[in-house]
Amino acid sequence: MTAETGSLHSASLRSGRRRQRSALVVAGLMAITAFLWSTPFLWTLVASFRPETAGGIGMASLLPDYIPTLDNFRNAFESGDFAVYYVNTAIVAFGILAVQIVTISLAGYAFARLSFPGRETIFYVFLLQLMLVPPILIVPNLRTIVDLGLYGSLAGVMAPYFASAFGTFLMRQTFRQIPRDFEEAAVIDGAHWGQALWHVLLPMAKPGLIAFSLVSLMAHWNEFLWPLMVLNEPRTHTLTIGLATFALSTEGGREWGLLAAGTLLVMAPLLLLFAIFQRQFVNSFMFAGLKG
Amino acid sequence: MRWIKSLAVAVALAPTATWAQTKIDFFFPVPVDGKLSREMTRLVKVYNDSQKEVAVTAAYTGSYDDTKLKAQAAAKAGKPPAVVLMSANFVLDLKLAGDIVSLEPLLKADGTTKAKFLDDFWPAVHANAIVDGDLYAIPFQNSTPLLYYNKDHFKEAGLDPEKPPQTWAELVDAAKKLTRSDRMGFGLPEGYDYMGWIMEALSMSNGGRYFNEEYGGEVYYDTPSMLGAAQFVEDLVFKHKVMAQGVVEGPALSTTFLAGKVSMMLLSTGSLSFVRDNMKQPFGVAFVPRNVRNAVPIGGGSLVMFKGLSEEQKAAGWKFAKWLSSTETLGGWSRFTGYFSPRKSPYDTAEMKDFMAKNPEAKVALDQLPYAKPWFATYQTVAVRKALEDEIQAVLNGKKKAPQAVKDAQKNADALMKPYVDQTALKLP
Amino acid sequence: MTSVAAAQAPFDASHARPVSGHRLQRRLLPWLLLAPSLLLLAAFTYLPIGRVAWESLHDKPHATGKTLFVGLGNYTALFADKAFTQSVANNLIYAAGTVPASMALALLFALAVQRATRFNAIMRAILLFPSMVPLVAAASLFFFIFLPGVGLFDHYLAKLGVRGANWLGDPDVALWSLIGITVWKNAGYYMLFYLAGLTTLPGEVLEAATIDGCNAWQRLRYVIVPLLAPTTAFVLVIALINVLTQVDHVIVLTKGGPSNSTKLVLYYIYEQAHENFAYGKAAAASLLSVSFLLALSVFSLKTMERGAHAAS
Repeated sequence: MTAETGSLHSASLRSGRRRQRSALVVAGLMAITAFLWSTPFLWTLVASFRPETAGGIGMASLLPDYIPTLDNFRNAFESGDFAVYYVNTAIVAFGILAVQIVTISLAGYAFARLSFPGRETIFYVFLLQLMLVPPILIVPNLRTIVDLGLYGSLAGVMAPYFASAFGTFLMRQTFRQIPRDFEEAAVIDGAHWGQALWHVLLPMAKPGLIAFSLVSLMAHWNEFLWPLMVLNEPRTHTLTIGLATFALSTEGGREWGLLAAGTLLVMAPLLLLFAIFQRQFVNSFMFAGLKG
Repeated sequence: MRWIKSLAVAVALAPTATWAQTKIDFFFPVPVDGKLSREMTRLVKVYNDSQKEVAVTAAYTGSYDDTKLKAQAAAKAGKPPAVVLMSANFVLDLKLAGDIVSLEPLLKADGTTKAKFLDDFWPAVHANAIVDGDLYAIPFQNSTPLLYYNKDHFKEAGLDPEKPPQTWAELVDAAKKLTRSDRMGFGLPEGYDYMGWIMEALSMSNGGRYFNEEYGGEVYYDTPSMLGAAQFVEDLVFKHKVMAQGVVEGPALSTTFLAGKVSMMLLSTGSLSFVRDNMKQPFGVAFVPRNVRNAVPIGGGSLVMFKGLSEEQKAAGWKFAKWLSSTETLGGWSRFTGYFSPRKSPYDTAEMKDFMAKNPEAKVALDQLPYAKPWFATYQTVAVRKALEDEIQAVLNGKKKAPQAVKDAQKNADALMKPYVDQTALKLP
Repeated sequence: MTSVAAAQAPFDASHARPVSGHRLQRRLLPWLLLAPSLLLLAAFTYLPIGRVAWESLHDKPHATGKTLFVGLGNYTALFADKAFTQSVANNLIYAAGTVPASMALALLFALAVQRATRFNAIMRAILLFPSMVPLVAAASLFFFIFLPGVGLFDHYLAKLGVRGANWLGDPDVALWSLIGITVWKNAGYYMLFYLAGLTTLPGEVLEAATIDGCNAWQRLRYVIVPLLAPTTAFVLVIALINVLTQVDHVIVLTKGGPSNSTKLVLYYIYEQAHENFAYGKAAAASLLSVSFLLALSVFSLKTMERGAHAAS
């Protein structure tokens, strides 16, 4: 700061004012960023209610300079059975999450709290899952799914994701940050490791679990190629497959308004969930990073 | 083979109480829009309700590429789909890969022959259904490229909206008059897949062949007819300045056409319904302009059957495929989608005559059919096609000159086909 | 699993059990806990990797139906393929374009919206929205945004008097358009990790730095960034994995074109395996990218753990 020494009082006053000004600049910059960042959504929102759906000069406009119509949404609902898609997608996304929470808690606990030969190596072997590129897995994994008798079922879509390297990693970190004293106290009180995990560690790891849930839900809600490979009937289709029936066309044109409406329909539940629980979600990410 | 026949007869005659239904999977992509997916699902339901022996499960499987990926993955996993609607130029490659079965035994079991079966199909669609002399596919939905033009723009530019350009010279002339600072006179769909098809149309209109229809190991890229086509594309952008620089994808082109930012374009007949439904200004369609002769490639999808089916499933799949490709079904599908029917007989029906009278553009597409030729299909069709497309895309961006581009395309394509050529045409005693 | 293990050893009994049984149970416990994950990973991860490794040493010439052992033939064929070397080069540019930019933005975003105010809550939501869009949809939306002449971008650039580009159709521009989409999509997601990391910073240190007369930049450069090193290492791993394993936008938007300019390694693999029937080459390329990622992750995580130890 400046070398000149005024009274302590005036210096803090000046720095306070400067802080105010810089806060204003930051807020302004953020507002611009927010606008840029949300432009695609603004356009989607505006386009989904626009009467002309395929082209026209006005299609690119971000201003709702029209009489809004629900035609695009009506068409979207007619193009597919969205109620079924929502249910199936929810089953897949939450089903995967439910099983994952069990597998990652157990594995995370083993890596964080128990010592056994080869722990480090096995941990890195776990991480291999993060490195695998999905398209290469399609053919062998589909074969496994058929062998398990799960081809064409929602369970077949879910099965490969039941174990999660990312989740295990996150739980290991979270458990490590919880002081051992807590469970040791519980174990001395005569509790079994399972009870210590269930009654002591998991409640304390809740932020980590919530953070992981968000990541997992986002990934599986939006997945496309793998469900397309496994599912075989309209009644088992998920939202992204439904969306693709009108979003992807190889010949001819695209109905942008319809695409916008469909995209909104797919995203709406996630956005709503996040809007309602955003503080919990973000806080959970913060706590997940907290060191004990 | 006789027992297949007797089995088929048995299946057909058996009382439903003692015979379980044969369950089969049918995979279909939707190349135009969601409405088609619903219509297809409805058709399959009609079929399932109409008889009791076969229960078809229809699965929408994304794009043509996704469909191929899914069908192959499912077959490898032991759950082959009985019938798949596949891009017509994948048939050769799928046969070479051993993924699909010959339909000849099924024809024989029906007491018919390939020639009799194909008699009602337009000659242009035959080649893409036959590999090494055997029938491997049934054409289902077909298209050709078509010239679309904006009639209002024609009037503004002092051109006769009822006299679209018929030759390349007239095309350049019209495009120059139509081009203004805020709009282009002409446009081509130049993304992967479309680009190759359009270059086939241009080289054929220039007297060329693009590929050897009889043998999967030859393409004619470094030839005068293809060089002329490539040079024409280069000139449209850089000499005549009537076409946008850089690659423009099909959906981008149709959107700019609808927005009145492009006055003429080549696009598939499969887009007719889409343009008709969404175009605000009056538009017309015409044959693809010629330089040497009128000629266009066929595009679209055919029905194929995968390997690994039980005999019952095979028979059931064949039955369903025959129903899908019947005069009645093909006529209805054609009217619904805008594709033309690969069969001739639907056009003799009253419904179709009525439809043609109401939709003169569909008539133009049909009139162009006698000039249609097979779609390119070679060993490694997609890679060999991309070998040309990458070079033409470089030309469109001013990174390469046409003569060099066709030379490089030929070299790359030859390298890709070498393993096949070595095993076939160059495998000498 | 929990209930089974618990049923075998109700806690009263486990206490009364002789020491040797206790020890055996202790030795078995980790494996019991890991069993569900290991079984699933074996079925859906290790088995496929094994298969890929096997395939990378074999060749199934298209249209012959034969399988031949070719040793490292697929690897030499891979490096001889110009499309592969170009895809590696593209991937390097793509990594250099997306990783530092999205991580720097993520850190700046995190610093800006760190305090829990209502305005910041809205900001966080907006910044995170892009990671919630299905890629199938996002790519289609961007197809419109980048449409030459009539798309959102060109529409507004024209109003500013700027001539737009052919965003996806010009080989000099297309890769950068994809980089833009990736940064837009991932920065908000990485921000979450930085927000988490920031809460671990000891407040006293920051205050001390302020009192010592550091300005905002110096605080960031000499205090915050070094203290966040473990978070950065973690985000770096995630970001690098994303660079090599996310390809949907290429599939939907450009299919690697024009003229191979957006062909990333993963798209090359996808194309070789599913379009060109060249499974051996695809397997070799996959195995290389898996090994590269694994080496990188082990290295970064080791660094990160060392960083975490040093910081605590």
